[in-house]
Amino acid sequence: MMEKWIEINRLKKNVDDFQLGPIDLSFEAGTITAIVGNNGAGKSTLLKVLMRLAVQNDGEIKLFGQLIDSEEEGWKKRIAYLPQTLLGCDSFNGNQLRELVSKWYPTWDQPLFEQLVEMYQIPLSKKYGKLSQGVQQKLNLALTLARDAEILILDEPTAHMDIPSKQMLLDVIVEWMDRGDKLVIISSHQAEDIRKLADYVVVMKEGQLLGKFEKEELTGQYKQYWMEDSLPNEPIPGVIERKNERILVSKCAEETESYLAGKQLKWLRAKNLEIEEIITYMLIGKAS
Amino acid sequence: MELPIRLSKESREPIYHQIEEQIKALIAGGQLPAGTSLPSIRVLSKELEISVITTRRAYQNLEYQGFIRTTQGKGTFVAEIEASKKEEVTVSAVYHAIEKAVETALRHDYTLEQIEVVFQEIIASLKKKGGHNNDGKMD
Repeated sequence: MMEKWIEINRLKKNVDDFQLGPIDLSFEAGTITAIVGNNGAGKSTLLKVLMRLAVQNDGEIKLFGQLIDSEEEGWKKRIAYLPQTLLGCDSFNGNQLRELVSKWYPTWDQPLFEQLVEMYQIPLSKKYGKLSQGVQQKLNLALTLARDAEILILDEPTAHMDIPSKQMLLDVIVEWMDRGDKLVIISSHQAEDIRKLADYVVVMKEGQLLGKFEKEELTGQYKQYWMEDSLPNEPIPGVIERKNERILVSKCAEETESYLAGKQLKWLRAKNLEIEEIITYMLIGKAS
Repeated sequence: MELPIRLSKESREPIYHQIEEQIKALIAGGQLPAGTSLPSIRVLSKELEISVITTRRAYQNLEYQGFIRTTQGKGTFVAEIEASKKEEVTVSAVYHAIEKAVETALRHDYTLEQIEVVFQEIIASLKKKGGHNNDGKMD
């Protein structure tokens, strides 16, 4: 097994009347995990607690096998975190921000930073506050990736980006992973990010963890069937929706197929669901 | 390089096995000569939209069977393989394709005898046309 770099045990965090957890979750070196969920599911809160930007009410977090506490902050240099919004930067330009950030990170990779600035055509002499949201996001990314830390945590990195920029980022992250032992956690609402990057998908709903799944564990099991004949009105194992008497959706293809085969019920066609359809079923229990 | 791999997510054949078989076929068919550099597990996983766990499994099996080799820090390459092994892959690919066709017919409630008739008809019509296309591919 690959080494566990992040271990979260029985973590709980209350924010006003919202409760996150209890959450048990771990992340291994060499993997990319996408965290998905509805708005307000607690994804950003979880990442903030992980980064010690908020303190949990209960539970523990281990990084690289060590419990983290506020005394010793060496681990911070081993994680690069991209928050959704960066506060207090408005009056600095890109060059000044680079100077501030690069000093903190012994692994700062200037050529990578320049490559990203070039690729995204980021104007470094313009004040951060004067940049569009999309360009701000690109600059944040360049400042985060170039730290070349072992763990990269991205909170909705592409929300404001145009399509080519999103595509380029996928390649950048793939290349970045191939640099060596790395770990990426990405919170995202973009199906493309999940399809092309994620090895694992963490699904969250209303502060609770619904589970961590290997991607093919989901895409291989959720299927829709078009049956040859109308189905009897009895419960069928694995079936989560019947769209009409001949179309059904299963979350456990194996169970459903063995039941159908046993009853000599034939289907004309079966289709695997797309990851966004699967997530929709998990989050709202029905197709959109 | 990008590999011309196409996965059928609907198939009962596991994804890692589909990758394995298609890479073997590319090697046996000469499209990927010995020494060709293969995409990293991460890059191939992105292209095929699958997890590295699945891709790694395919690469490990291919390496174990001697089709590819991985050099630490350099990457993964197509290995030298014997002609007899290439032959084996080709033969098994042909059997596999015909088996799949027969399975399709059986799913449509054809009897084995009926399938044989269809098979004979297809062969006969190909013979009449003066053979098959050059690369022998039907698809």
